[in-house]
Amino acid sequence: MSRRFVLALTALLVFVSGMLPVLSMLLRSLRNDDRWSLAAYRGLLGSAHQWALMEHSLVLAALVTGLTLIAGVPLGLLLGKTDLPGRRLYTGLFAVPLLLPPYVLAVSWADLLGPDGLLAGMAGPGIARATAQWLFGLPGCVLVLSAVFLPIPMLLTMIFLRTVDPRLEEAARLLAPWPTVLRGITVPLILPGIALAAVLVFLLSFGEFGVPTFLRYDVFPVESFVQFSAFYDFQAATAAAAPMAGVTLVLLLMEAASLRGRAGQLRLSGLERGLPRIGLGAGRMAWAAATAGLAVALVLVPIGALVAQSAEVAAYQEALRHAGDSLLRSLVYAGIGATLLTAIGFLTGYLVQTRALAVWRAVDSMTLFLFALPGTVIGIGLISLWNTPWTNLVYATPAIIVLGYLAKYTALTSRISATQLGLIPASMEEAAQVAGAGWARRMALIVAPLARRGLAAAWLVGYLFSLRDTDITMLVYPPGHDTLPVRIFTLMANGEPALIAALCTLMIAASVLPLALLALVPRLGRDLQDP
Amino acid sequence: MKRFASIALLVTAVVAGIVLWQRARVPTVHPTVVVYVSEDQVFSEPILQDFERETGIRVQAVYDTEETKSTGAMNRLIAEKDNPQADVYWANEPIRAEVLKQRGIAAPYVSPNARTIPPMFRDPQGYWSGFSARARVFIVHEAVKDPPHGVRDYTDPRWNGRAVIANPLFGTTTAEIAALFTIWGDAQGRAFLEGLKRNQIAISSSNGESADFVSAGRYAFALVDSDDAVNRMRHGKPVFLVYPDQEPGGLGAFIVPNAAVLIRGAPHPEAARRLIDYLLSPQTERKLALADCAQIPLHPGVQGPPELKPLDHIRVMPVHYADVARKLTEIQPLLRSWLGL
Amino acid sequence: MNIVEIQRVSKRYGRQAVLRDFSLAAGPGERVVILGPSGCGKTTVLRLIAGFEAPDTGQVLLGGQPVSRKGRILVPPEARNLGMVFQDLALWPHLTVRGNLEFGLRARHVPRAERTRRIRETLERVGLGGLEERRPAALSGGQQQRVALARALVLAPRLLLMDEPLSSLDLDLNLRLRREILALHEALGFTLLYVTHDREEAFDIATRVVLMHRGCVILDGSVEEARRRLRDLGRDSS
Repeated sequence: MSRRFVLALTALLVFVSGMLPVLSMLLRSLRNDDRWSLAAYRGLLGSAHQWALMEHSLVLAALVTGLTLIAGVPLGLLLGKTDLPGRRLYTGLFAVPLLLPPYVLAVSWADLLGPDGLLAGMAGPGIARATAQWLFGLPGCVLVLSAVFLPIPMLLTMIFLRTVDPRLEEAARLLAPWPTVLRGITVPLILPGIALAAVLVFLLSFGEFGVPTFLRYDVFPVESFVQFSAFYDFQAATAAAAPMAGVTLVLLLMEAASLRGRAGQLRLSGLERGLPRIGLGAGRMAWAAATAGLAVALVLVPIGALVAQSAEVAAYQEALRHAGDSLLRSLVYAGIGATLLTAIGFLTGYLVQTRALAVWRAVDSMTLFLFALPGTVIGIGLISLWNTPWTNLVYATPAIIVLGYLAKYTALTSRISATQLGLIPASMEEAAQVAGAGWARRMALIVAPLARRGLAAAWLVGYLFSLRDTDITMLVYPPGHDTLPVRIFTLMANGEPALIAALCTLMIAASVLPLALLALVPRLGRDLQDP
Repeated sequence: MKRFASIALLVTAVVAGIVLWQRARVPTVHPTVVVYVSEDQVFSEPILQDFERETGIRVQAVYDTEETKSTGAMNRLIAEKDNPQADVYWANEPIRAEVLKQRGIAAPYVSPNARTIPPMFRDPQGYWSGFSARARVFIVHEAVKDPPHGVRDYTDPRWNGRAVIANPLFGTTTAEIAALFTIWGDAQGRAFLEGLKRNQIAISSSNGESADFVSAGRYAFALVDSDDAVNRMRHGKPVFLVYPDQEPGGLGAFIVPNAAVLIRGAPHPEAARRLIDYLLSPQTERKLALADCAQIPLHPGVQGPPELKPLDHIRVMPVHYADVARKLTEIQPLLRSWLGL
Repeated sequence: MNIVEIQRVSKRYGRQAVLRDFSLAAGPGERVVILGPSGCGKTTVLRLIAGFEAPDTGQVLLGGQPVSRKGRILVPPEARNLGMVFQDLALWPHLTVRGNLEFGLRARHVPRAERTRRIRETLERVGLGGLEERRPAALSGGQQQRVALARALVLAPRLLLMDEPLSSLDLDLNLRLRREILALHEALGFTLLYVTHDREEAFDIATRVVLMHRGCVILDGSVEEARRRLRDLGRDSS
């Protein structure tokens, strides 16, 4: 009873926080002067320009997905499976771009390659003009978004590597060298993780418009955005988001189809003994150098440009004066958001993994769908749903921001939890049940502790995505309660470049803070395993 | 079942408690005003902080930015219509203020400080009041020997492919196109748009970008906001500024004042009026004139930015902003099809 | 009165029928072994009794009370008061040996002093005295087996379910643990329902053998009867 009740309540919460606002928007988009009408959609789909924009978006998303997979999966294997020196440092480094609002990275690349950038100062305006032309357009968008989303396949590869039963690899090692084993055994076994990474990267780059807008490449989501900002036309804006929902749906179906029959391969590994690591031998230093080169090119150089722009104490004083409160609020909201996201993601992940309610698939698709939807649509939906005199306690307080986080990011914590829970044999919970423990006790004392590593990862991911959220927060933050990314975004207009760069650097610091914790978590796990 | 019932009861009680508490909530003791701001935060925030210091009224602000075309403040005001959270809207141009009036979101208030502001820059019923304006001007590269005189130069074959204008779907550029339509009439307006296309005028994503293009020498001139031009000049870019259509009997330059709007059903109407009075005061205008945003004061006799002429030395395009707002909505489909959207 | 009774139960997973019109009963103190090849539905029987699954038709009774019936679980597993040793043992890796035993006692609100006493007694009974603070990963295979057994027995269940508990052990250890299980049964007098695919193990442990094939009972009788039937079957097939 209590299990069904809590899970149903969680499903309901996800529905209320996320789907209800979106549905209220959808309903509005279908009404025209108190009559049902498809006018908003007809106008949109009838235009050739829309289809051209859609093509732009699909090309961009496909290129970014392809590139990040090609680079991210090998990188994940290298960092997660070999004895590469400094692998933990590199993991942290490569993850940094994902921690930032993507436009921050676009700004930093422009600081480097733009017409007034560092390169222009060093190499002369001729070369800078060429690089600027290259940066402002499809190649620049692909570069920036690939750097931002590279950590997704990299980290998911590393996480899923831990789920591979070492015995399967050892059995193969008797017959073939490591490269063959990786190709033939390991990578196929972590295919669900790679597929998940592909879906996430595709959706994120498809829905991203900050970077394409900044780098002047017209993409489809901008249309929804234009409807909001130029016409205040909520109906058309929602209609414009519909094709994105369609693309999301197709992707989810493709993912489900490609993973059919692969479930159930996950095993609780690593708990018994450490993972076998591949010795790189003589090539160790060469690999390390190549990794370092990539890290320098993708992360250190642009962020270095950012830091160079802000390299004055005065800029930081100014930044703290301007945004100290916002920084503090960001940390608090992200902390609360992450905690709730972890709790709810754990419950929905449990629901998806155990299929305890018939609606499990609906809940899973719902969260991913919301994750893929433009934040603006969710934001406006939240306003129209929650802004009543009766719900001011939610709407007029930061609770609405947290609600927005829940709506958008539950997919992440839910999927991470589900993956981790899949590693725990059902008999663990069943044994507790036979021992007489009710559901709450089983969850608190058996399942949650066993899933602690997944919970820690979920919390971190929840924290980082809450921290960097701009779209939704921008629309719903109560007056006087803005967060750091929002403040950066609004100060970017005519703000001093040094100040903006300093604010972005603060943003990086706020994101990296918990990464230090991430470094501690696996150690914590190991301590528990080897008493 | 018993447990379920008790949980349900508890949830109901909590919800009921919250709702009752909300209903009975006393207005906050500390005087507060909630303002949504579309003027760049860099410039507006110091003004609001001064207001806080001088009056003791706490300002809670939601900032927005036109530069990055954010969707914040206006969409919120519209979505919040039935349960307004904001008291005041500080628009960076009067068209948005007009939209609010037309959608029944604004409330009338004639501030005593508005009396000395020319009537052209105020709503007759007091639904919005203008202050601190930008002018629409040409930014021209120094290499250009014979600069353009008026907006019609955009369609002059002499400038074929050599000029740029910001995307007319956004901001002050849309407003100016709409203003031209109200003065010329639709036929001439359309002809102008066609002329732009024929003359291969480039479209940039914003006025700021237009100004950058001209500064970099990629184009000869662009129609931008005066602050964009002043800003590039202050940074030593090789550009200068031309007021368009200043000849006797000419069209005049389009002026874009900021606008203060009282929101209908504002939770703190008293503080809201005081903030509007403050925004419309000569001292605010002076601060905005001397800041980097280089705004032109509307009150006579207030010191303006050194790079710009005072208002009474500029030939002003004679428009009614209400007509411009209406026209703007009307020509949106035309602009979209013109852009190929 | 029967401790456990399964009446005309059938169970399907999707299109595949796992149990067809299956019935089984065990009285106090009996040692019933369910013997059959893998995939014949043995484990499902235990899962039905434990309450992890509900029968599609028919009903399951414990101590004469119906606990599940026709797709519905009437009494959840945690309220059935039985012990179970899982095939993979399912020792909780994050808890010590003591923690593993204590978990169920706490869930049943046994006072601390009695918890301590019962844990000590049970561990001594299975020969694990002194290992309370170890974690499962730090124990040998045989020790882990005994912890699983102790964890089930510390609750003093009237019915103990064992799902191929010895299948992963070498023969020596397997034989030794069989003796221990029989000794524990002798001392504690619970009803044992034991699932295996190993004939010798079955005949060694059982007072009664249930032969299963494709979800049906093909024999329910004494060890001697089972031996004879299996010999006959072997002759037929050869």
